[in-house]
Amino acid sequence: MNLLVIPAIPLLAALLSAVAPGRRGAPAVTLAGAAATLALAVWAAARVAAEGPLISIAGWVEIDGLSALVLLVVAFVAAMAALFSWGYLAAHDYAPRRVRRYGLHFNLFVFALVLVPVLAEPALVWMAVEFTAVFSVLLVGFDDTPEALEAAWKYIALMFMGAAIALLGIFVLFWAQAAAGGGHYSWAALREIAPQLPPGLVVAAFLFILVGFGTKAGLVPMHTWLPDAHSQAPSPVCALLSGVKTVTVLYTILRLVPLLPAEDLGGWMQAIGLVSVGTAAFLLLQVRDYKRLFAYSTVEHMGIIVVAVGFGTQLGAYGAMLQIVSHAVTKSLCFFAAGSALLLVGTREIASVRGLLRTSPLVGTSLLFGALAIGGAPPMAVFLSEFAIIRAGLARGAYLTTALLVGFIAVAFAGILLHVNRMVFGAPPAAETTAPPHALPFTCALTLVLGAIPVLVLGVYQPVPLHALMTQAAAALAPVVVP
Amino acid sequence: MGRTLLFNLLQVAVVLVFAPLAAGVLARLKEMVQSKRGPSVFQPYRDLRKLFHKDEVVSDQTSWIFRFAPYLVFVTPLLVTLLIPVLTDYPLFFAFMGDMLGGGFILALGGFFATLAAVDTGNPFGPVGASRTRMVGFLAEPVFMIVFFTVSFVAGSTIPYIVQQTWVTPLANFFAPSHVLLLLAFLMLILAEGGRIPVDNPTGHFELAMIDESKTLEYSGRGMALMKWGGHMKLFVLMCIYLNVLVAPWGLAHERTLAAVLIAIPLILFKILCFLLVLVVIESSLAKLRLFRITEFLGAAFVGAVVAMISRLFAF
Amino acid sequence: MMTAPTPPSVAWLLHLNALVGGMFLLTSFGLVAIRQVQGCVRLYVLQSVLLAASALLLGALLQTWHLYAVGVLDVVSKAVLIPLLLRRSLHDEIHMRREITQVFNIPTALLLALALAITAFFLSGPMLAEAPHDPAAGVNLPIGLAGLFLGGLTAVARREAVPLLLGLLSMESAAFFAGMALAPELPLMAEVSVAFDVLVLVFVVGVLTRAVHERTGTTAVGAMTTLREGPSV
Repeated sequence: MNLLVIPAIPLLAALLSAVAPGRRGAPAVTLAGAAATLALAVWAAARVAAEGPLISIAGWVEIDGLSALVLLVVAFVAAMAALFSWGYLAAHDYAPRRVRRYGLHFNLFVFALVLVPVLAEPALVWMAVEFTAVFSVLLVGFDDTPEALEAAWKYIALMFMGAAIALLGIFVLFWAQAAAGGGHYSWAALREIAPQLPPGLVVAAFLFILVGFGTKAGLVPMHTWLPDAHSQAPSPVCALLSGVKTVTVLYTILRLVPLLPAEDLGGWMQAIGLVSVGTAAFLLLQVRDYKRLFAYSTVEHMGIIVVAVGFGTQLGAYGAMLQIVSHAVTKSLCFFAAGSALLLVGTREIASVRGLLRTSPLVGTSLLFGALAIGGAPPMAVFLSEFAIIRAGLARGAYLTTALLVGFIAVAFAGILLHVNRMVFGAPPAAETTAPPHALPFTCALTLVLGAIPVLVLGVYQPVPLHALMTQAAAALAPVVVP
Repeated sequence: MGRTLLFNLLQVAVVLVFAPLAAGVLARLKEMVQSKRGPSVFQPYRDLRKLFHKDEVVSDQTSWIFRFAPYLVFVTPLLVTLLIPVLTDYPLFFAFMGDMLGGGFILALGGFFATLAAVDTGNPFGPVGASRTRMVGFLAEPVFMIVFFTVSFVAGSTIPYIVQQTWVTPLANFFAPSHVLLLLAFLMLILAEGGRIPVDNPTGHFELAMIDESKTLEYSGRGMALMKWGGHMKLFVLMCIYLNVLVAPWGLAHERTLAAVLIAIPLILFKILCFLLVLVVIESSLAKLRLFRITEFLGAAFVGAVVAMISRLFAF
Repeated sequence: MMTAPTPPSVAWLLHLNALVGGMFLLTSFGLVAIRQVQGCVRLYVLQSVLLAASALLLGALLQTWHLYAVGVLDVVSKAVLIPLLLRRSLHDEIHMRREITQVFNIPTALLLALALAITAFFLSGPMLAEAPHDPAAGVNLPIGLAGLFLGGLTAVARREAVPLLLGLLSMESAAFFAGMALAPELPLMAEVSVAFDVLVLVFVVGVLTRAVHERTGTTAVGAMTTLREGPSV
């Protein structure tokens, strides 16, 4: 089966949503498309875990361990978000035209997200990353309030700036390959001739792509758009943005890691990651909006992934892969919980929300659960991945980095719990002042329950195929060893 | 050696004689563009002759600077003519007496004394215009310096003749980004220093808006004639530097014979005519800038010159 | 510097390419400094034409028909379609605006632009030293990198929506300007998709700006700063 079928499904769903009738047509099409994509992605990932890289068009469309992992994660979160969108759109009771617009943009966004890991030619990957940005802008501004529009403007401006810088990096990378003797421009071919690439050019290309795509992934100091965009967008879209879009962009940066020359650039990567983790940890102490809280947490986790890769060992890379998976499932759950809370309470302000556990036990519990999970409490998935990363750091001997990492994670944990505790516990405000604008739709509740399952499961057990896939993905980050 | 001295003096004579003609042609062309008939191209000569025959009225509140300045304004362009290539492309007798920086400073000396004289009279409009002239001059200085530095760096010398031989002679240099940017920067400089639109209106009579014209406000008779002639010659000299060193260093006398030099005279006049056409187009299509926008104008010229310099220094 | 004498046609192509590069750099500076929105649009069109000219010259120089196609595509998409899209998706009166205040005043912005251009030239040196000698890359890379930085400065320093967008687009044009000399053999599909992407972007931004204008009555998008931490307004 040609791998191009996988992105074709959301594209088809997008076209169908644009003409689907009524208020339920577009969400139904979206859900069906996302489910089909998930099924195919699981199949493809299982194939790769068992047999190695899957090639459809050599040099253009192929997936190996790393891209299969990202594809799986994207498809899973997209399916969850599609399920949540059903209830979300129903609760808001938008006009059919607006519902269709949502469906179109949502599916196009998923199409672009799925396209990134499937393609193997860096220039086309750049194009796919650009598409993820372009197709999500109107989703960020979907609420049509001045704040949402401001967030959308900042988002697109910074996205495009990053894209232009990264484009130059892609060109320089091609130049480096041409200087080393040419060959087809794909990730695999680049990895094979990595020792012959002129080191200065590779480092220059890496820096351009790091700055350019780092802007899109939310690395500090280019992260300023992230809290705005991820808080103003509708919650299912936030789940996609935070959970997988940042990871997808980070994936493209990670593809360059095996090409870097042998000098110890790991130290620099650890530093860059630590700056992100530290800044995010301290910034989230003084947020006033609980969606921004989770957005800063995304910045923090992206930093942790970069630090893990910076350790340069197989253990560190494995930890990074596990972190990618656990962050995706956990962060999407957090945003679903936050979205449900927003539906119930009608405000994003932390100070205005009290006693969520009494107002709605399901939402309160899942919000608390999500906050604990994302902060890194056992026995949830993120704890396991962060533990693996810390172990990798200690094994590597990077004691300072690991100590700082632990400290920042602790600060972030405290910050998140501080805010969420205030929201969840206590007595709800008097009924006259805050009447819940919407009741919680069934599909939203279902998403919360379903989303919690992987978080718990991955905290104690990793299915063997998944483990095999993650090991393969980690191996993709190491330079090819010349026998 | 006597021959080079003769050619040098011939250069001075050419500038002296043809500068008013250039001014007359420019005025006529501007009027023609506006579908008017315009004055005769020889009108500046008639004006100068009239002024030389008139009496001078000098305020008794002025000092010696007021009397002295017209002579200085008249003589400084002539001194600069001794240093620059006007007719020949080989160095002449006085060529090594001063370089481009020296030439620039000599021109600035004339402008400085004209400004002082404008302040000297006590008329309120004089200092107004004088301070504005100084502002334009002060902003234009860095551009001059950077332009001279760039061309000298390439030529390995600051003498205009040597720069002229090396700057554009290899044709590759003509199209290099640094050359194009330098041409643009120096053109903006000529517009600023020569008091043309968009920096200043040379035909305006409104004293509150005058920048360069204010230096002739109080003069009459012979003093005015010398100031006017000096102004024409300054523009002519700037055009010669621009055309012969930067833009089109061709058509200059190569052999050391009188015939070659005499043939070079109509060629330089033709080049000046082409430049005047460009100047007329610029002047007719732009509006005068507001005073504080002049900083932006000259800032752009400065930036252009520096970019030219760095693209030359970093020539890959 | 050259080991073999270059045929005159090659030399002329290089000369013209250098000339186009110089003017490209000038347009990048102009985008930082020009006040009128209409002027910015015209300057962007000029920049796109220069990009296409360089593409055609490099195509003749390196004998790749890819670059000819890029040049034609470029003229069509950037010089023709983008101004059209901008006109369609925004109200007419936005185009008549002038930008009165910017984040820095113009001389400061120009000096910053100068510093960025110098940095770009500085950074290109070591990069060009690593690859085999290529006179076209020696012109296109520094100018493209400088254009990238200057476009970024424009996007940061401008408040009005249209010049801000044009600054972003010029960043991408500059990246392309450098890329054409560095990677002339890059598959055509990649370049077609980039052009398509830019068009979609402009359309989307136009819609967004219109929404902002209708919602808040102004298009000074750079001045919107309500979303932040700290006490809510």
